[in-house]
Amino acid sequence: MNPYVLAILLSSLGIGTTLTFASSHWLLAWMGLEISTLAIIPLMAQQHHPRAVEATTKYFLTQATAAAMILFASTTNAWTTGEWNIQEMSNPTALVLITMALALKIGLAPVHYWLPEVLQGLNLTTGLILSTWQKLAPFALIYQISPMMNPTLVITLGLASTIIGGWGGLNQTQLRKILAYSSIAHLGWMMIVMQYSPNLAILNLILYIAMTTATFLTFKNVTSTKLSTLTLTWSKTPMMTTMAMMTLLSLGGLPPLTGFMPKWLILQELTKQNLPLTASIMALAALLSLFFYLRMCYAMTLTIAPNTNNNASTWRQKSSQTTMTLSITTTLALTLLPITPAIMALTT
Amino acid sequence: MFYFTFLVLIGLVLGLVGVASNPAPYFAALGLVVAAAVGCGILVGHGGSFLSLVLFLIYLGGMLVVFAYSAALAAEPYPETWGDWSVLFYVVVYIAGVLVVGGLVGGDWYSCSWVVVDEFKDLSLLRGDFSGVAFMYSLGGAMLVVSGWMLLLTLFVVLELTRGLSRGALRAV
Repeated sequence: MNPYVLAILLSSLGIGTTLTFASSHWLLAWMGLEISTLAIIPLMAQQHHPRAVEATTKYFLTQATAAAMILFASTTNAWTTGEWNIQEMSNPTALVLITMALALKIGLAPVHYWLPEVLQGLNLTTGLILSTWQKLAPFALIYQISPMMNPTLVITLGLASTIIGGWGGLNQTQLRKILAYSSIAHLGWMMIVMQYSPNLAILNLILYIAMTTATFLTFKNVTSTKLSTLTLTWSKTPMMTTMAMMTLLSLGGLPPLTGFMPKWLILQELTKQNLPLTASIMALAALLSLFFYLRMCYAMTLTIAPNTNNNASTWRQKSSQTTMTLSITTTLALTLLPITPAIMALTT
Repeated sequence: MFYFTFLVLIGLVLGLVGVASNPAPYFAALGLVVAAAVGCGILVGHGGSFLSLVLFLIYLGGMLVVFAYSAALAAEPYPETWGDWSVLFYVVVYIAGVLVVGGLVGGDWYSCSWVVVDEFKDLSLLRGDFSGVAFMYSLGGAMLVVSGWMLLLTLFVVLELTRGLSRGALRAV
């Protein structure tokens, strides 16, 4: 892409999210969301093949619908209460509508259907931006309206997302779809604790971003987008294969890796709030997600898939991609559990 | 004045139904023009005369005209008008939906009349709509810059998406 256009698009992507973060008025928040949607559209379609264009179209339609719903809900609230401030939203209809609109924006169940298909049509870098950066702005809005949201709706969104994220990912062999369902499941964990401790939801989001970035960048480094090509990584980069296995187990939430931290804290918070059944269902649904992470680890490390002898001794040349981000996020994704109190203090 | 507002609101609903019922883009653009025009009428009814005229000029006379020309590029030999059964079905369903929901939500639409609300009791020098525009250039300068940037961004997005003629992202163009 033309570097000037790329600079405009990436800077607008940053501006959009920053604008939504900085706003206290619903219209400005909506503008920020629209700017970030617009800016990522050419990035998604930059390879110009029909699958990417299809993903771009689907993304644009769903995000535009969600933005229109946000506008509708905020004008309804302004009409009935005269209040445009984000944190003073009080009309119940508007609150439900805006919760569903933000759920559509980030891909929570039951409005998650666009996420696997859109993510599948993108290359890994754009998919990474979609899974991490584009979740920040709607999440900031959810954080601000969390005290006023309808509790039943929030718990339904959280439970449905975790269960569907777990079950939906079971039948996938394409890595980008697996990561989409993983995103849905993690967002479910974030939503379920949103009304009781929004800071834990932020903690979960930050750690999820670190773990997902590590995963996406690993897959980008070995250029594999399918489960079958994952089996070839051991001969290319044994070190990265080991680290990728640990990162995937961290995504699955196994101690002593970082991914255990948000799940542990969220289950503790749910128990403190006298919701043992919800906590049990969340823990069991996380097992479903764990299965497909384990399947990826199995394909990568625990078994050597049938292949020709030439493949077992590939040239291990230095990767041309910069691996600084990958090494930083992998370290974060694996080693943060012992400093849980410090991380919790970061998000208080 | 009440009757004028009433006519304009009916025109809005019919225009929107005409777009949503999925005719050929030729006719959907016509529905959009009608809806935008009566939308300007609604603005007038609420005291935003300046905003209404600006909307007519820029939105209808600028952007919608360009959109109508683009929709005319998609001309078909046998376009689906509002009289064809597939479209008429949707028209009937939407109008029925409007009547049902209107009856449920605003049950006494037949027995009372609306008061058209304006901002001040008297005609004053400063009105809401063009004072807002004045604010955009003074206190709301940051908003002006953001809006301008967003328009420029939209231009670059569209240019990037349609780059490459038949080799580009939108191959039919």
